[in-house]
Amino acid sequence: MKCLPSAVVIVSVCLLVAVFKLSAFCSPVWAETLVFDSQRIGCSVVDESVPTGMELARLTLDVAPSTADDEEEEEEIVDIADPIYYWNKGMYHFNDKLYFWLLKPVARGYGWALPEGARKGVKNFFYNLAFPIRFVSCLLQAKGKAAAGELGRFALNTTVGMFGLANPAKEHPALNPPDEDLGQSFGRWGIGNGFYVVWPFLGPSTLRDSVGLVGDSFLDPVRYVTPMEASIGITAGDTVNETSFKIGDYEALKEAAIDPYISIRDAYVQHREKKVEE
Amino acid sequence: MNKQSRSVGMKRKVLGLTMMTVMVFFVFPLYVSAGVPQQTIEACVNKVLDVLRDPALNSDSAKDTKEEKIWSIFDDIFDYTELSKRTLSRNWKKFNGDQQKEFEDLFRRLLGNVYMDRILAYKDEKVLFHKESMLSDKKAEVQSKILTGSKEIPMNYRMVAKNDQWKVYDVVIEGVSMIKNYRSQFNSILSKKPPEALLKLLRKKVDKS
Repeated sequence: MKCLPSAVVIVSVCLLVAVFKLSAFCSPVWAETLVFDSQRIGCSVVDESVPTGMELARLTLDVAPSTADDEEEEEEIVDIADPIYYWNKGMYHFNDKLYFWLLKPVARGYGWALPEGARKGVKNFFYNLAFPIRFVSCLLQAKGKAAAGELGRFALNTTVGMFGLANPAKEHPALNPPDEDLGQSFGRWGIGNGFYVVWPFLGPSTLRDSVGLVGDSFLDPVRYVTPMEASIGITAGDTVNETSFKIGDYEALKEAAIDPYISIRDAYVQHREKKVEE
Repeated sequence: MNKQSRSVGMKRKVLGLTMMTVMVFFVFPLYVSAGVPQQTIEACVNKVLDVLRDPALNSDSAKDTKEEKIWSIFDDIFDYTELSKRTLSRNWKKFNGDQQKEFEDLFRRLLGNVYMDRILAYKDEKVLFHKESMLSDKKAEVQSKILTGSKEIPMNYRMVAKNDQWKVYDVVIEGVSMIKNYRSQFNSILSKKPPEALLKLLRKKVDKS
């Protein structure tokens, strides 16, 4: 049982290598799917006709043609392949309904019943518990300072902060490195997103980040709670607690969008890109 | 007599001071412009905060006045033409003159509505400005953070200098650039449909809110 985490790291690394090789092998197929796809959902093809060689290049490289009269150094589009568009769109609708019909009302009732201070305690507790994910990811990226910061925060919050319910480390900048996870580590190693995936319950992800999520879940102590029903229940509780702080965010994102599916896909990719950079 | 000569002296002093200021601006444009983007956006955010904190504007009946005031601050700081061009990118040229104008107006109202709702929901958040970096000699990024009770939201403003005025052309929240996000949506629509169809969607969206 104790050697599980290290075994998990090894397994996930092997899995990753496999996926990486697979993705290299598959890439021409992806390019074709992308062409097919872009006519359906429109990544970046200019007109409806069959893309010419130039457009194909633009499509796969995601480079906007430079216009002569305007310097446009930031025109590159962070776009992502979406070969399983229909699955993703279906899951997007599923998660959307899940949020409005179940998660939001439950989180609202929960937020009404429990004062903010208590909910913050729960939030802090789960955040502290997920320390192994962040710590291992720091190490995998050779971020010694950040790893030390994570370790320091974990030590302080677990002891002085009463098992992580309080967050006394908040006041020390050195103890608050940016959050890392395995998906970001893979990105740091130069592994690309692959393609976009929307999971039921879990939401937007990519091939790379999905592999990361599997690895992360093995580093999450909640996973090792038995029976499994209890483990799932705890995760659901954590999600409800987390959501109680964020009611309105998803609505605002959707309200601002002309095409919410595309908007969320792009926001996910941009956000992850920035986190990998950090 | 005495009074008059004093006022002449004053005038001279004012004139001299103006000349000096002009000279300083002229001779040291680089030194003077450093820090201006941040000052501009900081002043603008403070103006918005003042409106929000004004007790006279806190009643429901004053809501329209409040929104009007914030709208005029938006119009001062945002460069809608630049925003529209950058968002539509190569699709901008597919729009004719009238369509470009209408797009600008609709996009302004869409963004304004989105930000208005967020701003009016403001409670006791604090805004901290901490860094400014020049992206080129006419472009800058000002980094700020919004501190809420439970977390910090990084919010960066990308600004461009036009006729000696710094205007915002993009807002980047938690790493997500607003114009890139809209660009991905508009690209997707315009790859299948003509500009008129996008305008129709925007009209519907703006009228609804």
